[in-house]
Amino acid sequence: MTWQSALEFARGPLFYGALLFFIAGMLYRLVTVVALGWSKDRVPDKGSKAGGVVRSFLKGILIWPFIPWVKNTFSRNPLIYIGGGLFHLGLFVTILLGTPHMLVWKSLLGFGWPTLPLPVVDWLAVGGIIGMLILLVHRRINPVLRLISGPAEYLAWLVVFVPMVTGYMMTHHLFFRYEVLYTFHMFSVDFLLIWIPLSRISHFMFYFFSRAIHGQQFGKRGVRV
Amino acid sequence: MVATEQGLQTLVHETGGWVASQLEACTRCGMCAEACHFYQATGNPEYAPVWKVEVLRRAYEQRFTPVGRFKSLIGLEKKITDQDLEHWSKLNYYACTVCNKCALVCPMGIDLGSLLHGVRAGLSAAGVVPDELMAAVNKQVEEGSPLGMTDEVWDSRLEWVADEWEEDIPRDVKGADTLVVFSSIEVMKFPTNIAAIAKILNAAGEKWTVSSKAREVVNFGFYEGSEEHTKLFLSRILEGARDLGVKRIVVTECGHAYDALRWHAANWLPEANDFEIIHITGVLGELVSSGRIQLKPGFFDDKGTLTFHDACKIQRKGGHIQEPRDILNILAPNAFKEMTPNREEAICCGGGGGVIAIKDADPIRYAAFELKIDQVNKVGAKTVTMTCSNCRLQFTNSVEHFGLDWKITSLVQMVADAMID
Ligand code: HEM
Ligand code: HEM
Ligand code: SF4
Ligand code: SF4
Repeated sequence: MTWQSALEFARGPLFYGALLFFIAGMLYRLVTVVALGWSKDRVPDKGSKAGGVVRSFLKGILIWPFIPWVKNTFSRNPLIYIGGGLFHLGLFVTILLGTPHMLVWKSLLGFGWPTLPLPVVDWLAVGGIIGMLILLVHRRINPVLRLISGPAEYLAWLVVFVPMVTGYMMTHHLFFRYEVLYTFHMFSVDFLLIWIPLSRISHFMFYFFSRAIHGQQFGKRGVRV
Repeated sequence: MVATEQGLQTLVHETGGWVASQLEACTRCGMCAEACHFYQATGNPEYAPVWKVEVLRRAYEQRFTPVGRFKSLIGLEKKITDQDLEHWSKLNYYACTVCNKCALVCPMGIDLGSLLHGVRAGLSAAGVVPDELMAAVNKQVEEGSPLGMTDEVWDSRLEWVADEWEEDIPRDVKGADTLVVFSSIEVMKFPTNIAAIAKILNAAGEKWTVSSKAREVVNFGFYEGSEEHTKLFLSRILEGARDLGVKRIVVTECGHAYDALRWHAANWLPEANDFEIIHITGVLGELVSSGRIQLKPGFFDDKGTLTFHDACKIQRKGGHIQEPRDILNILAPNAFKEMTPNREEAICCGGGGGVIAIKDADPIRYAAFELKIDQVNKVGAKTVTMTCSNCRLQFTNSVEHFGLDWKITSLVQMVADAMID
């Protein structure tokens, strides 16, 4: 088997298979959780639930240290904020606003959008990679994180890290031939797609639940979230 | 093992979509640890909120998720044992006040307080509640009060308070508007609170009463996490209220009791919605802002620096954050100084959630209180006031333990003292 045919496999059948597994898996996760049942809250509100939900999402998006009152939390967890922020920013920008990735979206969705110039995406990708390294080191040295991290947590990290790094190496033709890197990138992306529904990386879906619940809980009590 | 099974069943039963979606949202980032005063005070990683809910997560995953089932099949995740539950009993009942500070810190916004309450439900079904806490629950089942406030004690204490402070305390008055339910902590340990509340309501011309049936607002079943006991104690209050035909129920200075009655009762006992349920702090706010009682401005300004301690269940979880500030700004506009952090972000006193009832938890409880000492010393206050008798118990007890020269008081007390008759 040549690199070329391996790449074709990873870009073709395997990719579509993985994508289907991802969609079906996430739907399954969503349905099983929703099907567990939701009891109605009969307690009269003091404040506004809806207002709380809106603020909760705003805070979730702007959780960065700019908001004065997160300061205390920030000063106690600067590494998670900086590492996590760099990583998620780099991740979102590359997969949404990098030209090669946008083309993938375009082939799937049928429409595209303007992208950012390569150097910008590139530097954010570097930031993302550094962010992930910070998170890993932190996970190894912080006593709480050591306690709560098992194989699943490290594996989740690795499964996201490999596509980030292979993608970056590919753009810069580092160490290996382009097709070799591309093949690795695609295999790792396929694996990531399969792994998301099986792991905690699916947090981005449940984020919308937990933030909404948070907003409701604080909002109904008339407490600022 | 049978009990453990029952505990697990309850954990699983607790897990509606509401709980499950939040367990699934956790990224295991560990940030919540830094919110917890018990972790801050001791540095013990096991006190991280996310670790305290670990049993609930395991029970959920092993039961409901394919990956969890697979993991336990190949032995990657161990079955939950009796020892595990006993271990988590210590983590949860000794080192958590269910103050919900952690929910404010979690980047995913997970409402950890409710999950922690769910863990308690499982532990209580498994019968691994610490002995002293359980003894108090049983006492409340049998005598109507965990602090031994039996019918006779109730009668004689109230009579004594009415005599001593010369305040009229209307008892079992049918057709009154407002039923006031005191906590036995106040009746037994802070009787001046009873007199103060009586004085305020009488001055305001409120048609109020106490009930001998609904005389105990404290709910040790809620600390325990037992739905059955919580409901039993709540229903005693609601029955008393119905018998007297009141319109509203006022919870006095007791935090978890307010949490249970105001924010949970209606979901178990729909008749709770027949009444308006409000905390005395809310009532004070109303009475002052409507002018039904008048306060002497600056009455406490010459008595040294004063600070306010936010109770987790009344301020952060109850929403009565502004009223105490408004009142203190009348009573002591210059002497009143805020601690940092404050309001919904305040640091818990460390004695709530039943922790203060457990002797073996004393070292952790005092360690957590040291954070409070730091905070109070930073503003240089010699008087600390609050709206929760359980906090007040923790303060008075710890002030003695550490030999501090602070005066510990309550908001109702201050209002009663500074009222223009
Ligand atoms: C709504 C979107 C998302 C939100 C709100 C979110 C939020 C978070 C938060 C708060 C953390 C923990 C703290 C931190 O490390 O920053 C985290 C960790 C993580 N996230 Fe996300 N995330 C989202 C999307 C994603 C996506 C799409 C991926 C990957 C495909 C991802 C992968 C990860 C990984 C691997 C970690 C763990 C890093 C570690 O090992 O510490 N996230 N996420
Ligand atoms: C949907 C499947 C994906 C495909 C088909 C794909 C394909 C590509 C391609 C063609 C490149 C550009 C190489 C070049 O510029 O010559 C690239 C770069 C990159 N990819 Fe992916 N990718 C996918 C998913 C991902 C994911 C999920 C991640 C992150 C977890 C990722 C991270 C990166 C990074 C960091 C770069 C380098 C960006 C830069 O430095 O400018 N890719 N990818
Ligand atoms: S609820 Fe309060 S005491 Fe309990 S884990 Fe969270 S921060 Fe700590
Ligand atoms: S802060 Fe929230 S997401 Fe992070 S470990 Fe704690 S509960 Fe999980």
